[in-house]
Amino acid sequence: MKTFKTQLAFDGKRLILRNFSYIFFSLLMPAGFYLLFTKVMVSGSSTQMKPFYVSYMDSMIVYSVLISALFGIAAILKRDRDQGLVTFLSLSAHGTFPYYLSVAFWMLMMSLFSVAVMGSLAVGINGVSLHFDQWLSLFGVVLIGQLPIMLIGIGLSYIRRYETLSLASNLITFPMAIVSGLWWPINMLPKWLQSIGELMPTYFVNQLLNQLTSRAKVDLTNLLGIVAWFVVTGLLVIVLSKHEQRKGVALGEA
Amino acid sequence: MTTVIQAEHLKFSYGDKTVLKDINLTVQPGEIVGLIGANGAGKTTFLNILLGLLAGTGEVSVFGQRPGAPDSKVRLGSMLQGDMVIAGTTVGDLMQLAAAQSPRALDPDALLNEFHLSDLKPQRLGILSGGQLRRITFAVALVGNPDLLFLDEPTVGMDAQSRKAFWTQIEQLRQQGKTMVITSHYLEEIQQVADRLLILQNGRFVFNGSLQALQKQHLGATITCETDLQSAIFNGLPAVDKVQLVAPKLIIHSTDGDQTLRALVPMLDRLHQVSVTRESLEDIFLQLTGKDDEK
Repeated sequence: MKTFKTQLAFDGKRLILRNFSYIFFSLLMPAGFYLLFTKVMVSGSSTQMKPFYVSYMDSMIVYSVLISALFGIAAILKRDRDQGLVTFLSLSAHGTFPYYLSVAFWMLMMSLFSVAVMGSLAVGINGVSLHFDQWLSLFGVVLIGQLPIMLIGIGLSYIRRYETLSLASNLITFPMAIVSGLWWPINMLPKWLQSIGELMPTYFVNQLLNQLTSRAKVDLTNLLGIVAWFVVTGLLVIVLSKHEQRKGVALGEA
Repeated sequence: MTTVIQAEHLKFSYGDKTVLKDINLTVQPGEIVGLIGANGAGKTTFLNILLGLLAGTGEVSVFGQRPGAPDSKVRLGSMLQGDMVIAGTTVGDLMQLAAAQSPRALDPDALLNEFHLSDLKPQRLGILSGGQLRRITFAVALVGNPDLLFLDEPTVGMDAQSRKAFWTQIEQLRQQGKTMVITSHYLEEIQQVADRLLILQNGRFVFNGSLQALQKQHLGATITCETDLQSAIFNGLPAVDKVQLVAPKLIIHSTDGDQTLRALVPMLDRLHQVSVTRESLEDIFLQLTGKDDEK
């Protein structure tokens, strides 16, 4: 237990408290977008805007999770492997289990922080009011919905070169955010692009959040979509991890 | 006493490329073994097999168990190539994490103090120099209080002062009975501390023994003196390979220093400022590995 606690403290400091990239790109930037699109670039009365304040909060939560996974987690896992932290821990008596458990814990925390920050802004600035059960189910959906997105981030971490990783993160994150309707309504996009967007994991999570926060009927096909993405990305990560082990990457020169 | 490391007919390949061909080795407790070889000779691969990071064919055991077995991991410390420059992490954080991995860990603060690294404790790893990082990595390897240490190119990037301090610490660890396997490109340093040298060339140990035994096999010496005798006289002496006159010095290169010196005894009253330099480990290493390359 002492090992796990130390690992948690170690990762909490480097992944959250001292990680300016995470704080800026995953929290401050979506928060900035939320304020920009709900307070500055607005048309309509406060009553008319209420549903938008809630739905855009949902979108920015999903966007924040997406950024954390595809930029934050992918790069952190890659660096930990390349710089020998994973090898160092694998040589210890406890192995890498406490490390992976701790990283998974902080991944969940990152998502909850996203909900906390966006939720606080929505409530504090825009007067959004949700019942306790809605907040609770929102947390639950974010925790489940983040899984396939995090797995995409873990999969990206196996890319060999940092430049390619950065390019891949950009090429996936922003198109995915746009086509799944996180930045502006999906019905503003061409039909063919909407068809693609409606298959994205971010779309499924966003839809579920919208349905819960607007008390609309929950469409379980969104949950099925999340499960399908979870299975596919999970298998992909297993294959990549096995491939990496076979190659014996990061073990240095002969 | 239990043998610390045992390897018999160990082989390892990366795909089609055979890196280790037939490695046989026994290391006893308290021994300091210097593992040397040219780049790509297989030193790091061998260490990685002993650590359980790679699996070779043949018999290998560390503390009587397969490499990587949990019980043996507790008794192992390693300082691999490259340092952990983990973003957002201080020296103190890393030491705490390393100490938490072992039930027999030393006090990280006391160890940093002993290594004169306490000032670096609050510093982020990313701002440290290469030499400082190497010293921190060494402290991290030691904080678990291991019985066996694998040190792979430990002094790369250290300045002369840090290297000196490092080898002094190695001597202290020897006094504590630690077993160590060290690879280094600084052969003059490794010959000072190693009880035994292993020279790895083309996947095999071309030498396994003490420096003295190695020098007995390689008797070459350079004899320098000043004399009024003709240099041609020295060409005819036994084991003389080459004679050079760099006035006022006469330099005699011998393939067997003792034999040539015996032949010089009758002329001693005509020789002045005589000095004898035996072949260094580096000379012998280059001979051994160069010879093999030519085959």
